[in-house]
Amino acid sequence: MRPSFYDHLHPPTIPAPQARFRYTLGAGGLAVFLTLVVGFTGILVTFYYIPTPEQAAKSVQELAFLVPFGWLMRNLHYWSAQLLVLVAALHLLRVVFTGAYLPPRRLNYLLGLSLLVICLFMDFTGYVLRWDEGVHWALVAGTNLVRSIPLVGDGLYSALVGGRQIGAGTLIRFYAWHLFGLTLILVIIGVWHIFRVRRDGGIAIPPPEARSDPTRIPRTELARREMLAMLWATVVLIALAILVPAPLAPGIQEGAGSASESLAPWFFLWVQQLLRIGDPFIFGVLIPLGALLIVALVPYITPQRLSPTELGSWFPKGSRNVQILVAILGGGMILLTSLALLQR
Amino acid sequence: MHKQFFFAALLLFVASGFVVWQQNRNPKPVGITPTITGQEEYCLTCHADLPEISQSHPVETFGCVLCHGGEALALTADLAHSTMRGGANPSDLSVVEASCGGEMCHSGTPQVDRDHIQRVTTSLQATYAGAIAQVRYAFGAQPDLIARMGIYAVDGLAAFDSTTETSPALQAFGSNCLSCHLSAQPLEGIVYNRWSGCSACHSPAPREDGTQVHRLTTSMPYTQCNACHNRGNYSLSDVQFHPREDSPADRLHDYYQPIAEFTRCEWTLDCEDCHTRQEAMGDGHIYSSKKDIQYIRCRSCHGTLDSLPLTYTITDENDLALRMAFLNQVVDLKVGDTILMTDKGEPLWNIRVVPGEVGSTPTYELFSKATGKRFTFKPVMASTCQQKSDQQEARYCHECHATQR
Repeated sequence: MRPSFYDHLHPPTIPAPQARFRYTLGAGGLAVFLTLVVGFTGILVTFYYIPTPEQAAKSVQELAFLVPFGWLMRNLHYWSAQLLVLVAALHLLRVVFTGAYLPPRRLNYLLGLSLLVICLFMDFTGYVLRWDEGVHWALVAGTNLVRSIPLVGDGLYSALVGGRQIGAGTLIRFYAWHLFGLTLILVIIGVWHIFRVRRDGGIAIPPPEARSDPTRIPRTELARREMLAMLWATVVLIALAILVPAPLAPGIQEGAGSASESLAPWFFLWVQQLLRIGDPFIFGVLIPLGALLIVALVPYITPQRLSPTELGSWFPKGSRNVQILVAILGGGMILLTSLALLQR
Repeated sequence: MHKQFFFAALLLFVASGFVVWQQNRNPKPVGITPTITGQEEYCLTCHADLPEISQSHPVETFGCVLCHGGEALALTADLAHSTMRGGANPSDLSVVEASCGGEMCHSGTPQVDRDHIQRVTTSLQATYAGAIAQVRYAFGAQPDLIARMGIYAVDGLAAFDSTTETSPALQAFGSNCLSCHLSAQPLEGIVYNRWSGCSACHSPAPREDGTQVHRLTTSMPYTQCNACHNRGNYSLSDVQFHPREDSPADRLHDYYQPIAEFTRCEWTLDCEDCHTRQEAMGDGHIYSSKKDIQYIRCRSCHGTLDSLPLTYTITDENDLALRMAFLNQVVDLKVGDTILMTDKGEPLWNIRVVPGEVGSTPTYELFSKATGKRFTFKPVMASTCQQKSDQQEARYCHECHATQR
């Protein structure tokens, strides 16, 4: 029988040590599951959402309060998106801290990183689609950041907000990006990324002669573990959806005064905190992009110093410098986020 | 592994049960689509027990959001109330135009006498222009008693700002004596309790326990007016408010401060039975003193020895008098009735000529706007009154008719 995509993703057997949850954190698989949940609930939410400045926030309120189980759909959409960002970031850390970015997985590392960036943009555009006072400041500040870029800023800004100022044109563009543009890129790169996992030899492991534990698990066992992880994830999602509703605020009124500063979405709090330091282009664009570039260059900085025999375990000695670099970056982000929360 | 599956599946089952429970726990939305706005709103989900605010504002027509603002679709109190205008009081003058205004409502239509907001916002009760002019004159900040400043800038008045005044007395006036105008927060104490804006007069004050009454009315007892009036005196000597110190036990003594004499009708009736809309709410012009806008005299109802009070007969179904009688149905006024009228042509719609007494001086019947009680009275003409025709101020009437207190 010709192997299916399922078989492609589930080799007949995989090495037991590297199939353990404490090694993978299940992050890649959970990211796929959460993407499916976010996509499915997104489709449901789309039936109710009206992408006009007058109706957007109202249609969200209608979904949250009046549509039977609408609150559940919306909260699941929200929470699966938030968890997706977390899980994707965790996945990135796992890959960095286990040295799995080494050739031949350099391309897939970059694909994965770009998926994380797309996730952030998806999350931000979705956040803005609420079109309420809770997102007003982030919308204004975020789009103004684009304008701060020398030479091309003004043009990019017009292209992004669809005119000289934020309005109906902006909303429909964010809507189109969220539903079509970014989704299309996410699906293409996502499928490519998953496809490459197997093409690159499955999960990163040492050569056969260097393995301390040669046991392997069958694909049925892998599928069972995935099922279990999905069950747990679903329980967590439903619990969050019931206990912590997705944020809501009064709609942005046309002609209302400028937005008062409020907290950016949590995954951009660190950028918001950087912006308090100084020049928006340097602190809001250059530094975040620089950090992204450093993370992207990880497989190219010290690929030779990590030997393949060190693969398959956490914190291999050969990539200490990369681990320290990424830990500093991650720690910095967490620190800035905490500061932003404290100074709210 | 099997145990884990079982446990996770069990939790999922429980979670699904909670989903159904949560769905049923959410309030069942109660929506209306008011005919004016045509926009669904769900305030009644929680506020179904509120009485209709007035028969002129039926909820099926106006809904809640048109006046109050707020998020029409939200079913959590915080979100639903977050954009309400003026908190619980949409008639506060800072938001009144958005809440009560519009040319179909209370800021002016082609029909006369419906521009309440323009009139009230230029009235002495709102601008406090008369008091400000008098006090600024008293402390040498302006050369005459002409109103130049108001609580806010309006219609030629500048905004009064006590912090820019050089006189310490005027600075004290700014902080101690601006508690009675329509935008002011009332002083502490139940006797001062009132809303701001239109509701200062037209809605019952919040009760002592903080609960509120959802009502707009033109039926206002004197106690409503006395939240500001007759509560004490502002003294120029120390620029302070001095509350009245008596403990009145009956209406006669409660009505006014113990500083003057009054005739029986001045304390058995309510303030609004004599004082007109224009006197209370202004006529759209800026005045420098209460005396310039308060024009009702004893003779407005009682006439003089030489003349009967002014009257007119209602011929039009849209007559202002009939509209007023609809708002406060203490009298079954109808086309063909003859009612009293002020010097300025305002209908005293609650005072009607009793028909059918041929050959005698007319009898008038007054229906109290606050209580609905009927009183009858005769004009001065053909009575034994010894008034002089040039002495028509109240103090001359009080010489004979004042009640001992």
